[in-house]
Amino acid sequence: MNFTETDEQVALRAAVADLGRKYGYAYFTRQARTGGRLTELWQEAGALGFIGVNLPAEYGGGGAGLYELSIVLEELAAAGCGLLMMVVSPAICGTILARFGTPEQKQRWLPKIASGSAIMAFGITEPDAGSNAHKLTTVATRDGDSWVLTGRKIYISGVDEAEAVLIVGRTADSKTGTLRPALFAVPTDAPGFSFQPLEMDVLMPEKQHLLFLDEVRLPADALVGEEGAALLQLFAGLNPERIMASAMAVGSARYALAKAVGYAKERTVWSVPIGAHQGLAHPLAQVKIELELARLMMQKAAVLYDAGDDMAAGEAANMAKYAAAEASIRVVDQAIQSLGGSSMTSEVGLAAMLANVRTTRIAPVSREMILNFVAQHSLGLPKSY
Amino acid sequence: MNIVVLVKQVPDTWSERRLRADDSTLDRDAADAVINELDDYAIEEGLRLQEAHGGEVTIVSMGPQKAADAIRKALSMGADKAVHVTDEALRGSDGLVTSAVLASVLGRTGFDLVILGSESTDARMGTLAAMLAERLGVPQMSFASKVETDGSKITIHRQADYGYDTVEGALPAVVSVVEKINEPRYPSFKGIMAAKKKPVETLSLADLGMDASQAGLAASATQVVSFANRPPRAAGTIVTDEGDGGAKAAEFLASRKFI
Repeated sequence: MNFTETDEQVALRAAVADLGRKYGYAYFTRQARTGGRLTELWQEAGALGFIGVNLPAEYGGGGAGLYELSIVLEELAAAGCGLLMMVVSPAICGTILARFGTPEQKQRWLPKIASGSAIMAFGITEPDAGSNAHKLTTVATRDGDSWVLTGRKIYISGVDEAEAVLIVGRTADSKTGTLRPALFAVPTDAPGFSFQPLEMDVLMPEKQHLLFLDEVRLPADALVGEEGAALLQLFAGLNPERIMASAMAVGSARYALAKAVGYAKERTVWSVPIGAHQGLAHPLAQVKIELELARLMMQKAAVLYDAGDDMAAGEAANMAKYAAAEASIRVVDQAIQSLGGSSMTSEVGLAAMLANVRTTRIAPVSREMILNFVAQHSLGLPKSY
Repeated sequence: MNIVVLVKQVPDTWSERRLRADDSTLDRDAADAVINELDDYAIEEGLRLQEAHGGEVTIVSMGPQKAADAIRKALSMGADKAVHVTDEALRGSDGLVTSAVLASVLGRTGFDLVILGSESTDARMGTLAAMLAERLGVPQMSFASKVETDGSKITIHRQADYGYDTVEGALPAVVSVVEKINEPRYPSFKGIMAAKKKPVETLSLADLGMDASQAGLAASATQVVSFANRPPRAAGTIVTDEGDGGAKAAEFLASRKFI
């Protein structure tokens, strides 16, 4: 066991934090409120090698691991400007392509994803099936050398910024007729592919979308990985997603906690700063502990993932996502209580953050699905569904 | 071109900085250590000149073991190699001693151009460039907001209250820079990984042929005799605007000699 980060990890943290300070929460909220994107930050982070730090060096990545990628997102979020599409483009899509793509697919996508010059979105959730891969109704059928995809997706992040979407669909087994999950890289300009933004009450520059796939015809090599093994491949990408979602929640909570602590040290009523009163000090100390515990589980999951232990990483990633969501909600709530009325102003922006961290209890996987997983897999309790 | 950039590790400007009670030197444990802010600009300028003219950028730093972090940051930005002068006997050295030590290092490394920040955020003397140039017998070009060179001649914009002077000199030279000169780059991930493999030569006073008696607080010409902590911030004065708010604000500023 080692809880000491390497010199390089410490230096990466510092460099990303510096970059984050240049943009900050004011940039994030300004872009979100005016319908802008985080393009400048994304491109600068990409040029510095931060976006693709986890991807193989031979395809333009940093050759490091998910731990390093989680450092990047945690530090950007801690500066107030987390990049949601890092959860998707390098973490889910980059990982799946790097592990299961053909050399041609890797060559086509990974250098662009790593440099940040292209974003790949990820589409699994459907209006009826949710994210249950066994019930997806987006179906791919073989037609000669092509695949033809038809279906609908919902809550797909950043499609408007993406060059392609990695779509989770299902293919029919020619012998048995059973449908099995399969992954397809679908360019956003493919004929038959369309999308529209969903109006959301969450202040984020990245938009959510409804996708329509109407007989989208794709070449044979749009299929990523093997037809039959897609579920395994899917989970290889979903563990990084959970770890990165945790990193973003932990970073955002660090931002909110720093705001609250700064205020509690400065704001003086009568003779002492309000942070001297246990009514405010203890709740902040409590959420600090909860946040550090969540962060520790997130780091454990990343280390296990990088060590190649997918099973153990899966359990830790689920627990980390649960803990990070709960901790970040509690932290932002307590930060709001510490700042009082000013926390509700647009200038401070903590009220807007409340909806953001609250989302992490639902996405990318709900608290209840994580509890199901832990009940069944960690505790061996009987299945409920 | 052989470019040497001087780097100093200082306590973080944003943290509470203190002097030690026993000998009035800087309390390095009281605050996080960071690279001196203006040195980032010096490194950036060194790297830009290297990109334009070729050659090598060498980082030279004098400081405790921990200063290795500041050196590593400079290397991760793209410098080629570094020299770290570290010796227990150096603790408390003033500008004169520091300039003697650094001049000795520069004698070993050789240089066409020495670049440094125009001051450090801790001591804020801003005299090192002049002392070094004097010891090395080369021109000093100070407060540069722009540097141009053809490899033998150097031209700078010397920042002043009224704008800038254009100053010309011959290489080798010592140039101090101000923050207007450029926008320092962030270390890239490749740079961070590459820094690990770059050579850092560690030198003691003995390696430089200097004696412990020539360095440190005892050998320094200047010392902090006494100091007082900054008084806690007093409550401000609230002026009610009764139509004369502007005049009262001006009065206040005049009383503090701001206007």
